[in-house]
Amino acid sequence: MIEIKNVSKWYGDFQVLSGINETIDRGQTVVICGPSGSGKSTLLRCINGLESYQKGEITVEGISLSDPKTNLYKVRRKIGMVFQKFELYPHMTVLHNITLAPMKVLKKSKQEAEKRAIALLERVGIPEKAKEYPANLSGGQQQRVAIARSLAMDPSYMLFDEPTSALDPEMIKEVLDVMIDLAKEGMTMIVVTHEMGFAREVADEIIFIDEGKIVERGTDESFFANPKSERTKAFLSQILV
Amino acid sequence: MFDAIINNLSYLLKGFLTNLELAICALAGGIFLGILVGLGRISKNRWVYHSVTLYVNFIRNIPLILVIFWFYFIMPILVGKPLNPFLSAAISFVVFEATYFGEIFRAGFQSISRDLVSAAYSTALTYTQTARYILVPIAIRRMLPSMITQSIITFQDTSLAYVIGLQELVRRTTIVDSMEVRSIQLYSFVAALFFVICFVGSRISRYYEMKSREANIL
Amino acid sequence: MGLAYKFDWSVLWREPYGEWMLQGIWLTLQMGFLAWIIALFLGIFVGTMRAAPWKLLRLVSTIYVEIFRNVPFLVQLFFWFYAGPMIFGKTLQFKINAISGLNYYVAVVGLGLYTASRVAEHVRAGFASIGQGQYQAALSTGMSQWQMYWHIMIPHALRLILPPLTTEFLTIFKNSSVAMTIGVAETTFMSYKIDSDTFHGLEATTGAMFVYLVLGMAVVKTMSYIETKFRIHGLVGR
Repeated sequence: MIEIKNVSKWYGDFQVLSGINETIDRGQTVVICGPSGSGKSTLLRCINGLESYQKGEITVEGISLSDPKTNLYKVRRKIGMVFQKFELYPHMTVLHNITLAPMKVLKKSKQEAEKRAIALLERVGIPEKAKEYPANLSGGQQQRVAIARSLAMDPSYMLFDEPTSALDPEMIKEVLDVMIDLAKEGMTMIVVTHEMGFAREVADEIIFIDEGKIVERGTDESFFANPKSERTKAFLSQILV
Repeated sequence: MFDAIINNLSYLLKGFLTNLELAICALAGGIFLGILVGLGRISKNRWVYHSVTLYVNFIRNIPLILVIFWFYFIMPILVGKPLNPFLSAAISFVVFEATYFGEIFRAGFQSISRDLVSAAYSTALTYTQTARYILVPIAIRRMLPSMITQSIITFQDTSLAYVIGLQELVRRTTIVDSMEVRSIQLYSFVAALFFVICFVGSRISRYYEMKSREANIL
Repeated sequence: MGLAYKFDWSVLWREPYGEWMLQGIWLTLQMGFLAWIIALFLGIFVGTMRAAPWKLLRLVSTIYVEIFRNVPFLVQLFFWFYAGPMIFGKTLQFKINAISGLNYYVAVVGLGLYTASRVAEHVRAGFASIGQGQYQAALSTGMSQWQMYWHIMIPHALRLILPPLTTEFLTIFKNSSVAMTIGVAETTFMSYKIDSDTFHGLEATTGAMFVYLVLGMAVVKTMSYIETKFRIHGLVGR
């Protein structure tokens, strides 16, 4: 379980997060949406300790992220993250991208790591690309590799930062399909996205963030059908065709 | 038609060898010092950052010939006896080229996107592991074309050691020219020699750059 | 310290050395500006040829650029000064060598030719970064190739390449020091001459360093003023 208690964050004078409160239970899929600059990506990066916060507390299975004694590297083994621009290591093959962390952090042997990597590639649908370099893959394929790379660490939670925003329209579905399968298999997921179709299908909760505050939250149908706040209505009318 | 060149070929080529030796010393020292300069330019320590920046900006504003002269004048004072021209020139080159290599390294270190580092961290790699397997390999691949280009420039610059009488190719050519007075032959020969090496080098750099671009490393 | 060395900074300003330095600085300035004018005009011309749609123009300009970039400037200067007059045949050769101040003219022209090749590369890069879109948009409004280049591409490219041009302008003053090797009495030459007279070359060259530093700062200040005046609003990175 991840608990976010009254978290606020400032960049200098600018407040990017204000009093965020949220609990994410195991097995849940939470979708975060909102206009650009609203702080959604920052919130995501606070959850796995890539960014720090000045007020409040985030605990991952009881471990507080702001406690100086906390070993953030250990926490990160439990949380995987997928980025908008895939961020695959361009100088390594797809296989090596996936096996690097398991070998160096989890101390797995090369055979073990590669076996697992091929299995993951099969799960995301592209086992034949194992020996290719990222530059030879399409965007959708690269993102699926990025998902496999994160899954290789056996995380309990997965964070997605606008995973399909950098993709051509025809490749969005292949990535969303992988994510939907993951959600249905019981992975705990926090997804920042504009893909409301995805939200409708698997989200247990949808949160709308604007200017660093949670403006509204709901469980799919109530959220889309009867948004309570004006800002939510305005935002939804812009992104839903 | 090429008699002046043929008669003095070994004399001239030995001079060319001196250019090569000087270039190698300059590159070895310049790259090593350049890495330190590059790190200094991205340092968070104010003393380090400002003193290195001062050094870089100072050297980059003055001509190499002047730096060569300056070391030629100061080394005997510091060391107590006149220094041989090769050593004096080598020191000048290292100090000079380090600023240019330093800027290349600085740009290389800074070019790695924050998100790529974040992606590595989010798979629980430590700072050292990220630096070793991701940052440094990518930075080196990115900096290689600029490093090759700068090395070619350094090699061309070795001709300037002429001014302190170093027995390199240009100096020897003027000596031969004063005897044979076959200026067109001789200076064309020098030009052609430099041209071939520098042209080939720049092609290699461009080829490598193109390959890196295709692999999305740049 | 080794030898007991007594510093004598007065070599920088006392007679006749102060005069020498000022003459040298004046010559450096002259050479730099004159060569820069040559380099700009020739460089823009060659650079435009490099980006032209006609293969022959591209080939000729590429040969020019590659030759002048891959041969050290010192070697180029020596070629023009020592071998150059001989190209004109035995009779003319002696007449040319008798021209007073020949080394100065050769230096200015040589510096201009060399720097022009570098300017040409920046111009070509500037055109390349503007991209096909502008080119096609201009042509589709009925302009001829020449009109398009003159009214759209060249002004746009020039503003884009102002920063690298600033660097080239700085470099021209630094490269003018190479002219000392053919006897042009500019700043670096003078500092060496002061050493031959006084054996205080260290002070003289240190002084010369500051001359170039001040020159450099003046150039950067002027060019950044020009940059702000001609800035293209909204272009990434400016």
